[in-house]
Amino acid sequence: MINLINLTIEKAHNSLKNGEYSVTELVNSYLEIIKEKNGEINAYREVYSDVLEQAKIAEEMFKNGADTLMTGIPLAIKDNMLLEGHIASASSLILENYKATYDASLIKQLKKQGAVFLGRTNMDEFAMGSSTETSAFGNTKNPLDITRVPGGSSGGSVAAVAMNGALVSLGSDTGGSIRQPAAFCGLVGLKPTYGTVSRFGIISMGSSLDQVGPFGKTVRDAEILFNAINDYDEKDSTSIKNEVRLKPLLLKKKIGVPRSFLSEKGTVPEILKNFDESCKKLADAGYEIVDVSLPLIKYSLAVYYIISPAEVSSNLARYDGIRYGLHEDGKNLYEVYTKTRGKGFGKEVRRRILLGTYILSHGYYDAYYNTAIKVRDAIKKELTNVFLQVDAIITPTSPVMPFRFGEKMEDPISMYLSDLFSVPANIAGIPAISIPSGKNKEGLPFSLHIMAPSLREDILFTIGKDFEKLI
Amino acid sequence: MQLEDIKKLAVLARIDMSDEEMVKIAKDFDPILAYVGQVQEALKLSEGISLDKKPENYFLHNVMREDIITNNRGEYTEKIITEMPDTQDGFLKVKQIL
Repeated sequence: MINLINLTIEKAHNSLKNGEYSVTELVNSYLEIIKEKNGEINAYREVYSDVLEQAKIAEEMFKNGADTLMTGIPLAIKDNMLLEGHIASASSLILENYKATYDASLIKQLKKQGAVFLGRTNMDEFAMGSSTETSAFGNTKNPLDITRVPGGSSGGSVAAVAMNGALVSLGSDTGGSIRQPAAFCGLVGLKPTYGTVSRFGIISMGSSLDQVGPFGKTVRDAEILFNAINDYDEKDSTSIKNEVRLKPLLLKKKIGVPRSFLSEKGTVPEILKNFDESCKKLADAGYEIVDVSLPLIKYSLAVYYIISPAEVSSNLARYDGIRYGLHEDGKNLYEVYTKTRGKGFGKEVRRRILLGTYILSHGYYDAYYNTAIKVRDAIKKELTNVFLQVDAIITPTSPVMPFRFGEKMEDPISMYLSDLFSVPANIAGIPAISIPSGKNKEGLPFSLHIMAPSLREDILFTIGKDFEKLI
Repeated sequence: MQLEDIKKLAVLARIDMSDEEMVKIAKDFDPILAYVGQVQEALKLSEGISLDKKPENYFLHNVMREDIITNNRGEYTEKIITEMPDTQDGFLKVKQIL
């Protein structure tokens, strides 16, 4: 039996290369854990039937010397990523039986590198939620404490790694959906710069905000998986050309803390205490910690809950029961639409579509949507200016600790607030990472959130690795 | 928000919903709209903000491609048809529109 608990991509790669074990043996070790734990945790919606065939392909690559760091690495993908011939349901009834007719670009890239896709993971329906409780297919439990949520929306992907049922995994992040669950399950989660990872073949939620990124146990694992999918794609019109992507630069070794944002009501005191300890550790490691003023950043969440439902309401208009997915019959076309969408969408998705419809309606468009777009632009400028002084900006990842099932389901605002610190990075399109920063008395994880300027993921990895050593 | 307004939104969004759920949504909307309404106050604070320095790498530009066929005829037809709820002679079948 291979010890999976402290396994990293590089360790596994070396063992596979030296012939200590084969890809098939590695994959089988993960399949055993999944068999043992998935019944309770519900991280995976499906384990693919062709996993062992994929392992054979990876073994061939090792034999032929065509291996890369990702060859033979068993990973899990979120249920909103298209893998040809397999179901991609976005954990919604409306796509419950939808089989992908093509590969997402990032799946193609990973296939080329011989990565092994173990299966697809549970998520909040269409990625709308912060606890994975809005999935049409049951809750996912937090492997660190099964009475609590794993966070969301990429709750299944984070739980798969946290229960050692995958070495790494992929999630998508529209307002914190990678970083908040990473924080809740004690893992590293990265939301890359908007435009770095292709979204072609990813089921859209909010197109000006969505970005795909990795989960791993270490910063280095997240970095390796990010590098494997960080590429220009002509099929995604928001993809940034490789030649304009920035090369790593020397750091100023200066980190900013937006103090007044942290004191917004609702942040749990023990989280603030842990955050101060993290600041001290970074100072001891040679970073200068300075206060920065970002008066607009606290409005990011309000901006988000205008822009995101607006984009949701138009993006999800495509699910109409006509070309694919669920179809409910009616006496005319109108009824086919309303019945299909009424039955296919869950409560939170319906609420957000209606909210978006309202926000974009004639009388309210200016007051909400147009205003939010202007404020978004100002937030971006404010952050860009601060990044002239500092390499990075740090906060806690979430203002709250992992909560219990049902605790926030009846109060949408309190659920939304768990993304308070993660949302600004989506609003500005900048990269951000969450890194474990210790545990409380009950064994629940704390997490540090680091934001960097556009295309400067290298800063997150450098600071992240320095910080990791101190925990 | 009034139940009548939610009913109109449900029609616009083409979603069949029970009255009970619409009452609940009407109730949820008030605190959500009050919260997002903060953007008005943010807009006032936003006035006069400008970039201290133009970013070196300004990568925003319009993305276009030639309007040409990039795949072989029928290459994806079979796969796409398999996902359709109803077909006839290789066509997607829908309800009568007029």
